[in-house]
Amino acid sequence: MVEIDKSLMGKNVLELAFDNCIRCSTCKYSYKGFEPSCPSGEKFLFESYWASGKIRTIRGVVTGELKWSEDLKDIIFACPTCGACMDACQAPHADYIVDMIEALRELAVKHIGPAKNQEFLVSRCEENYNPYGESNSDNEDLKKQFDLPDKADWVYYIGCTSNYRQQSLRDSTLRFLKKSGINFTLIDEHCCTSPMIRTGQLSIVKDYMSYNISQIKNAGATKVITSCAGCYRTFKKDFEKFGKEFDFKVFHTLELVKQLIDDDKLKFKSEYNKIVTYHDPCHLGRHMGVYELPRAIYKQIPGLKLVEMRRNRNFAWCCGAGGGVKIGYPEWSVEISKERLEEAKETEATVISSVCPFCRTNLSDANDNYNFEFEVLDLMEIIDQLDIEIVK
Amino acid sequence: MTETKDRNIYEKIKKGAVFKKLVEIFGEKNVTNKSGDLYPYSYDMTECEPHMPDFIVLPENTAQLIELVKFCNSYLIPIVPYISGNNVGGLTIPENGGILVDFSKKMNKILHIDDNMMYALIEPGVTFGQLKKFLDENYPHLRYSYPYAPPYSGVVGNVILSGMNNLSCKIGSMGDSINGLEVITADGEIARIGSCFYGKDEAKPDSWWCRYPMPDLMGVFINWQGMTGLVTKCAVQLWPNPPIKKTYLAIVFGLTDVAPVMREVGRTEIIDDISAVSIEVVKMTVDIPVPKKFPGEPDFAALFSISAKTKNQFNAKKEILSNEIENLNKQGKNVILVDADEFVKLFNLRVRCYIDLPSVLLSLVEYSGLTWFGSYAPSHKLEELIEKVDKLFYKHNITPFIYMKMMKSGHYAIFRPIMRFNKFKEGEEERYHKLLEEISDVCVDLGCIPYKTPAWMTEKMRKKINPGWINLFEKIKKCMDPNNIFNPGRWNT
Repeated sequence: MVEIDKSLMGKNVLELAFDNCIRCSTCKYSYKGFEPSCPSGEKFLFESYWASGKIRTIRGVVTGELKWSEDLKDIIFACPTCGACMDACQAPHADYIVDMIEALRELAVKHIGPAKNQEFLVSRCEENYNPYGESNSDNEDLKKQFDLPDKADWVYYIGCTSNYRQQSLRDSTLRFLKKSGINFTLIDEHCCTSPMIRTGQLSIVKDYMSYNISQIKNAGATKVITSCAGCYRTFKKDFEKFGKEFDFKVFHTLELVKQLIDDDKLKFKSEYNKIVTYHDPCHLGRHMGVYELPRAIYKQIPGLKLVEMRRNRNFAWCCGAGGGVKIGYPEWSVEISKERLEEAKETEATVISSVCPFCRTNLSDANDNYNFEFEVLDLMEIIDQLDIEIVK
Repeated sequence: MTETKDRNIYEKIKKGAVFKKLVEIFGEKNVTNKSGDLYPYSYDMTECEPHMPDFIVLPENTAQLIELVKFCNSYLIPIVPYISGNNVGGLTIPENGGILVDFSKKMNKILHIDDNMMYALIEPGVTFGQLKKFLDENYPHLRYSYPYAPPYSGVVGNVILSGMNNLSCKIGSMGDSINGLEVITADGEIARIGSCFYGKDEAKPDSWWCRYPMPDLMGVFINWQGMTGLVTKCAVQLWPNPPIKKTYLAIVFGLTDVAPVMREVGRTEIIDDISAVSIEVVKMTVDIPVPKKFPGEPDFAALFSISAKTKNQFNAKKEILSNEIENLNKQGKNVILVDADEFVKLFNLRVRCYIDLPSVLLSLVEYSGLTWFGSYAPSHKLEELIEKVDKLFYKHNITPFIYMKMMKSGHYAIFRPIMRFNKFKEGEEERYHKLLEEISDVCVDLGCIPYKTPAWMTEKMRKKINPGWINLFEKIKKCMDPNNIFNPGRWNT
């Protein structure tokens, strides 16, 4: 995990744009890999679209040399904030580049508004507490279906994408958690606010964070588990940034699976005889530094052959869904995923797997749009297909 | 701050019509006049004054550029070539506005690697990182030479501006390693220079093998900072990639003794690259942000890179180097030679970055500004240069950062005082610029010749250069670019 230097916390990240970045262009390449790494720059090509250009834009709008106008919207918002620039950049401000972009977006929202359609992320939440505009599920039906208590040690925070778009992933996770024997429940969730933070629309963020914290506390939980890389990043990093402290621990489902394997409690009783390539979600990989944990799990599954794409781990090409790109730039978002699937095609894999419902959605969309014929599955869905035994 | 200089370049044609024409030539997606897009091109890392371009274009091929040049020549619109803007001399800041041609995004193909004659034919947008990767993956037995510059820097920009490389002690300036150029001149004509000059049609890929012995027209383009035409292809020499490579670190006590050490080791003719930095820079490299030198500490550290085909050859070279250092110590110098790999182990990966090129020198990217006096220097004047420049750094209370290289076994040297600064801190640019001016005055007086030279520096140099050279320079410029459309403002044109 990338550790934030506490001495810089509290400092307006926009100020970092003035003390750093000579525009050496290192942010354009994977460091020492010399591979293109920035979806935004590679798409739009002008300097303004790379991280160094965005940093320059901050200087421009803050000093007034650059006037706020609609023309700035793409420069500011057409970026999945995948963090490839953070990984490539070697300067002291590297770990804060995405924070700087998000702060720029916050400013932009005030002056020129969000990118097209991104305003729906908030308005839909205001009506239904999720950015998809689906009628809010209080998860009571799921609790009944899975026979879950009202209070428990663990809360499975499903997240909006799993709950409203990737129910197969949600249900696979629920079945696994039931089998694992942990004492868990569900809460009536509000969105974790990741989409709002990424797009600079902060009006509801603190309230939603407070709400979710109180829901988790009311459930009596000391541990929260999520199968969404975006929710995980938000709980682990952003809550603190917004001054929302909590005393429960936050886990990705991966961590539980790995712990059970390490403790010899999870036994795979059947085989998964397929070749799988793993796509690193940006929010778990570059944003949180988790690269080897999922790989260690795939490698433990009998029959499963794990192969790597050319750009993997910190060099992984983004799926294109994050940073508000999926809603703001839907066609381009899928194009980014197409490039990822082309890379997967270079391997012998027939399954592309990830551990994020957002990645799963976008990779699936590209898979369907461009007829790649991959199976796109979350790790939890693969495990769900296997006979497993949990040793109590 | 970012306004263009007074020159009404849109008297003969309106901006809107220019935009329309550019879209016609390059396509809508490859042209922009939006202020947000233009803004990052208006400045570079130095203290040179920013100026906005009026348009950016992303060319894909030579035919588009021929059309652009003809159009600009008719309407007297400036053309500024751009690759990554890392030249540290303000060379791609469009002083007079006009059209900035960004080569790096679409004219970035490695067109041919000639394994037999060891050269690469490339487009202007190819970067060092890209070429390194391509060679490592496809021609691991060949290597190119890399400067101490970020991997995204352009190869062609560096060679035609006579940049450095990590084989400089063997081969000298990058400018010497060019085999051939394809250029577009102001009338829109395309010309091929070098052994590729035969034939009326496109040159054969295997014809770019040598620069000589015809009249050397390459000199009309090398070091002209884009003032005489647009380079659209360039052939650069490659070298065999020996399996054994090792770097030694010499720690030198005595402020000016590093100069004879570099000269004598250079003359052994066994070293690929010799560079030296002030001890303060070594401290920056191991993560001390604003380092100081304490009494009794060494003054400079020099790096000697050796390569060899066999272990015996390597041992022989190593023996020559050790003997030379021993001789120098016997003569009263105080030099400690250590294996750079061991030094890296003692400290951290930041040092590794310094050695494994192309890479980012971390101490150079830690602020928002960077500037230097980069010069070719008479190697016998290094002692005087070091002494005077070191004093100037202290006079201005700025940490000394002197970088030097020995070129072509010691025929000449590179002397480069570097300054890192906060571009946006009140008074910093002025403070550092004052030091830079004083350094340039001292160094030029001692015979140094700046390269990738900013316009404010060439203005000073013009007063010292013999009038015959200036007149000839002006005549050539006028002949090559009668309407002054190619990167106007450079060398005060």
